[in-house]
Amino acid sequence: MSSLFRYRELIRNLVLKDLKLKYRDSVLGFLWSLANPLLLILVYSFVFGHLFPGGPANFAYFLMVGILPWNFFAQSLMMSTGSILDNGNLIRKVALPMEVFPIATMLFNLAQYLLALIVFFPMALLFFKVSVTWSWIVFVPILLLHVLFTLGLSFIASTATVFYRDVRHFTEILLMLLFWLTPIIYDAQSVPASLRTVLYMNPVSHFILAYQDALYHNAFLSLDRLMVISILTFLSLVLGYSLFLICKVRFAEEV
Amino acid sequence: MSGELQVTNVSKAFTIRHNKTDSLKSKVIGIFHKRYREQRETLWAVKGVSFNVSPGEVFGLIGRNGSGKSTLLKVIAGIYPPTQGKIQLPNGARMGAMIELGVGFHPELTGKENIFLSASIHGLNRKEIEAIYGAVVEFSELDAFMDTPVKNYSSGMHARLGFGLAVNLNFDVLLIDEVLAVGDEAFQHKCMDHIDRFQAENKTILFVSHSMDVIKDICDRVCVLEHGLPVFLGKPDQGVEQYHALLRGNHS
Repeated sequence: MSSLFRYRELIRNLVLKDLKLKYRDSVLGFLWSLANPLLLILVYSFVFGHLFPGGPANFAYFLMVGILPWNFFAQSLMMSTGSILDNGNLIRKVALPMEVFPIATMLFNLAQYLLALIVFFPMALLFFKVSVTWSWIVFVPILLLHVLFTLGLSFIASTATVFYRDVRHFTEILLMLLFWLTPIIYDAQSVPASLRTVLYMNPVSHFILAYQDALYHNAFLSLDRLMVISILTFLSLVLGYSLFLICKVRFAEEV
Repeated sequence: MSGELQVTNVSKAFTIRHNKTDSLKSKVIGIFHKRYREQRETLWAVKGVSFNVSPGEVFGLIGRNGSGKSTLLKVIAGIYPPTQGKIQLPNGARMGAMIELGVGFHPELTGKENIFLSASIHGLNRKEIEAIYGAVVEFSELDAFMDTPVKNYSSGMHARLGFGLAVNLNFDVLLIDEVLAVGDEAFQHKCMDHIDRFQAENKTILFVSHSMDVIKDICDRVCVLEHGLPVFLGKPDQGVEQYHALLRGNHS
């Protein structure tokens, strides 16, 4: 871990590299990363707000609260499947703590998530008649737990892809399934009790519900919810990082 | 810094897989059909190599293609874990491997951005990079091209930037693999001057090359590898003779 701290400059440079390369030479630059959530929010709020009404009040805002953190989670996980494999050229030639790659992937997506928040929330205040309340302050610990939870799974995905290239395709399909099993475009309360169990078996649901509690229902985080997401984060990080540590000695030979 | 780089009885085995499968499907099919099953075979690329290198010494590794030189260098660099044996670094020493010049250079980034990226890949922090930046630019003679994307560099410019960075990273133990084979004669002279300087600065240098003139010129001691086995350890002149004997043996 101490050597990881030594390499903080590398993590910073890797994140900056990805950001620069993604937006260099494009006219709209970083605004492109807002296009995807914006389109999703517009389409879903039209479909569910007008064609099938009866969803949560202020539906576009409800969507926004769920979609932005989901996008961060899904894009981080998807990208992390290539974190080790795509850096094989480096890993075969320089000895360095390989943790930097999944960490940098996660931070790159976190940067985009935060930039999106900075643009979307003032818009929400302006257009959706949302007002800031004290409950928003729990956003910070939720974000922190969500980030670490995502990192733990990123360790697993980046490791697994080195040994089984299938993981990339599997993750893509799994994320599609998880999206519908997460209360992002519908309210968990409107789901029949028997099906709600399935919803709660999906760990991502608990994080999205926590975001909705704080930002949509304007309620402070309940102790139950905090416990659940803390335990999920702990499990993801411990299992993910252990797996990574066990397998990383073989990375240079396998990539 | 004091103490030697100690390589003790190091061996490295690779598992060679015939029918190598990275996909789950073929693994499952392999359970039922022998023909699709992965065949494993162990290949010992390095077998029981031991030597010490003192500070201020240039140690050469020579051998034919596939004799295990590069693998040994990667094991010493910490890229591959040794299957047996151990590597001991002098206390507090920083080791750097130049397996390839310009590792981590990204074609779309400028020369300056690449210096910062590549130096941080070798574990330098920002202050350390800023401190060497001027020297790297000066060595590479690319002052006017620092804002140009590296994809527009010629291969010579690319190599100069890579070597300029490598010689300024200030490692105590240097592992150099064949990187001097690039550039024109003037550039190679400049590189040799730097190796002399490192030696004067009491750095520990491990050097892999196919150029026997260079080996005789700069090495204090050499190790000859053949099929992963150390067949000779001693003076460069005798080592080079041994190496030539191995080459002749191969032809006859």
